[in-house]
Amino acid sequence: MRLRRLLPAGVALLLTPLAGITLVHSQSVEHPPDPGRGAVIAAQGVGSGAPPCAQCHAFNGASDSSGAFPRIAGQSAYYLAKQLRDFSGVRSNAFMSPIANSLSTDDDDIADVAAYYAGLDTPFLPLKSAAPEVIKRGEELATIGSAERQVQACNNCHGPGGIGEPPAIPYLAGQYATYIAFELKMWQRGFRKNSTNSMGVIAKKLDDQEIAAVAAYYQQVRSSLETAMPQVKN
Amino acid sequence: MATRLKPVDAVTIGVGLTGCVAALELADMGLKVVGIERGAGRETVPDFQSPPIHDELRFAIRKAMMQDNVKVAVTFRNKSDETALPIRRWESFLPGQGLGGSFVHWNGQSFRAQVADFIYRTHHLQRYGKKFLDACGPELTIQDWGVTYDELEPYYDRFEYLCGVSGTAGNIKGQIQPGGNPFEAPRARDYPNPALKEPYFGAIFRKGAENLGYHPYPQPSSNLSRPYTNPLGIKLEQCIFCGFCERFACPHFAKASPQTIILPVLLKNPNYELRTSCEVLRINLDSTRKKATGVTYVDDAGREFEQPAEMVFITAFPLNNVRTLLLSGIGTPYDPRTGEGVLGRNYSYQTTGGPTVFMDEGININPFMSSGAPGTMIDDFGGDNFDHSNLGFIGGQYVGSIMTGGRPIEFHPTPPGTPAWGLEWKRAVARHYNHTILIQQHGTSQSSRLNYLDLDPTYKDAWGQPLLRMTFDFPENDVRMSQYIADKVVEIGRAMGGKMVVRGGAKRPYSTTFYQSTHNAGGAVMGDDPKTSVVNRYQQCWDVPNVFSLGASSFPQNITYNYTVTVGALTLWALDTIKKQYLKSPGPLVHA
Repeated sequence: MRLRRLLPAGVALLLTPLAGITLVHSQSVEHPPDPGRGAVIAAQGVGSGAPPCAQCHAFNGASDSSGAFPRIAGQSAYYLAKQLRDFSGVRSNAFMSPIANSLSTDDDDIADVAAYYAGLDTPFLPLKSAAPEVIKRGEELATIGSAERQVQACNNCHGPGGIGEPPAIPYLAGQYATYIAFELKMWQRGFRKNSTNSMGVIAKKLDDQEIAAVAAYYQQVRSSLETAMPQVKN
Repeated sequence: MATRLKPVDAVTIGVGLTGCVAALELADMGLKVVGIERGAGRETVPDFQSPPIHDELRFAIRKAMMQDNVKVAVTFRNKSDETALPIRRWESFLPGQGLGGSFVHWNGQSFRAQVADFIYRTHHLQRYGKKFLDACGPELTIQDWGVTYDELEPYYDRFEYLCGVSGTAGNIKGQIQPGGNPFEAPRARDYPNPALKEPYFGAIFRKGAENLGYHPYPQPSSNLSRPYTNPLGIKLEQCIFCGFCERFACPHFAKASPQTIILPVLLKNPNYELRTSCEVLRINLDSTRKKATGVTYVDDAGREFEQPAEMVFITAFPLNNVRTLLLSGIGTPYDPRTGEGVLGRNYSYQTTGGPTVFMDEGININPFMSSGAPGTMIDDFGGDNFDHSNLGFIGGQYVGSIMTGGRPIEFHPTPPGTPAWGLEWKRAVARHYNHTILIQQHGTSQSSRLNYLDLDPTYKDAWGQPLLRMTFDFPENDVRMSQYIADKVVEIGRAMGGKMVVRGGAKRPYSTTFYQSTHNAGGAVMGDDPKTSVVNRYQQCWDVPNVFSLGASSFPQNITYNYTVTVGALTLWALDTIKKQYLKSPGPLVHA
């Protein structure tokens, strides 16, 4: 159900400078993505050279707890597909760019694998949280912003509690802190520029401690550290 | 008893657009300036952050950013033989309150006026003759501004660069530019930023307008198209098309407002002091009544203060500029029976309201994805851009698809005949929500001897002072103009592929019960002659030369466009002369 809700909206989000009227709404209708086929790509990769996504991101999209790879389960299909396309250009990445290049867009590999991971409702891993004062500083930045830095709240765009504003804006809630911090630095240094100019501008206003704090905050918003623990009865 | 405070050089009554610009210019010169704001202080962080700032019920419906009309309302009537009643719920126009004023909740629509606008009477007499003008309506009292476009151009330029306006120039030094508005007055250089991306509704409008031979161009916008550092060194960000612009404040530093373009610098200036939640009751005059000695205000604890000042700047919402002058006894109030007196005379408004274009279900408009000043428009029917010889009216409107959002409480277009509630209504909303384009007609309203502002004889504010009374109806001229253009715009709607086009256009009588425009203008107008103006060409009061009334209350009649950028330019123009001439030798800048 989630998939159906997200996909047409995702395609319709395209701004269309002078585009033909019929172009915009026809794509998703004529070529509905096939999450089943996407699951096979996730498990086995494709013959043209892309390894199975599951090797790093896990078959359930949770990736591993190192934070070297982002959690992608339940991220919007539009967002995932856009990143896969952008890896061959404006989001240069030593791991992902070659993989994305070998996914065939003609066969809708990207659309299918994005649809597969978008549709997953994977539990969040139990993770150790940062110190409370770090979380508190991160929460301030996430929910109020910083008057001193003239930086707005992350939640303005990433949604209340960082749950995302699909299809265009990814969730941060429960994302790995290492990954969030790494990406903020990519925006900051100009290696990542595959969105509006907002993320680069904002990342440049934050220092390392603030980046670490906001990343730590979002990771613990949806960690299942407590819920995953077996109930111990006295 | 009022506590008398230490004298300062200048006071601004209101801290919005004009108050911030004036204070910045004077504090930079080393003058001690106090800004007095009746509303609360507020900043982008933490006050404008989401989700609270995207509360449509609170801000768009209950008008949380607007003047507290429990304390100070405006009374209204259509004609002078009616009894005016207080407007206790803002609908037709929305005067802002709080630090930054209406320049916080504006949409960012950033136009210049045209060359002919400033020589309005002269232009029409020359092109069409007195007989024609009289036939448009003997009650019309249009007049020249006393300042020309060429004089204002450098100040338009400065204000646009202060805001970071995003647009496509149409006319640079007389050269028509591709993609811009060919009817635009000549500008010295391009906009500081390129136009915003064209939304889908804009692209559809462009196609329809082009097919009919009109000249579409992107709406100039102070919602920024890219990150920008303004001449004061303040950084702004890129608009993300969140769809909560008018009636709201920008969470993203992406819309020009005092908080994003001036205050970060002004508030650091040691010569400036801001006092919020303070209500100015009156400007005090000395015994000659030709010199102001300062202002009296009440703070939020009810304590009364007298702030002596060498100069007083009335920098409130235009209606409140006029009221402050009336309450202070500066200028002769207008008498509609004799036509004598100037204060309150030539209050004017704007004509708005365009068609609704219902599209096929296959066309997804996504109206929610928008900025405050997006979209595509034409100026073919603006001002005097078309020949009025055989039309029997003066004035015009711009026309455009410039939708500002698709918020759930306010936006649910349904075709005529749809029930107002129940299952059929819900079905119609679901059918049309994402497949409907609104076209705006927005334009002039002529001043008339029948329309004016004065003090209400009955109703008082929370401090016991008379409310402002508005007597207004659209001149017949304006209705003829708007209805003529409405026919043309229906054709555009059809050329856009509309399945059904519901005609727009202004009607009489004017009603305050639905939103039209917050561009209330006039009442303390500028000009060359003290018999027909309250302030001179530098917005200096003829009667009390150390009082300046800045803003759209100076407009002798209203222009086609949203007026913020013109107000900004007029303010910078006045301040430049004050700095160069008045400070050296205080006194009248123009001798009548």
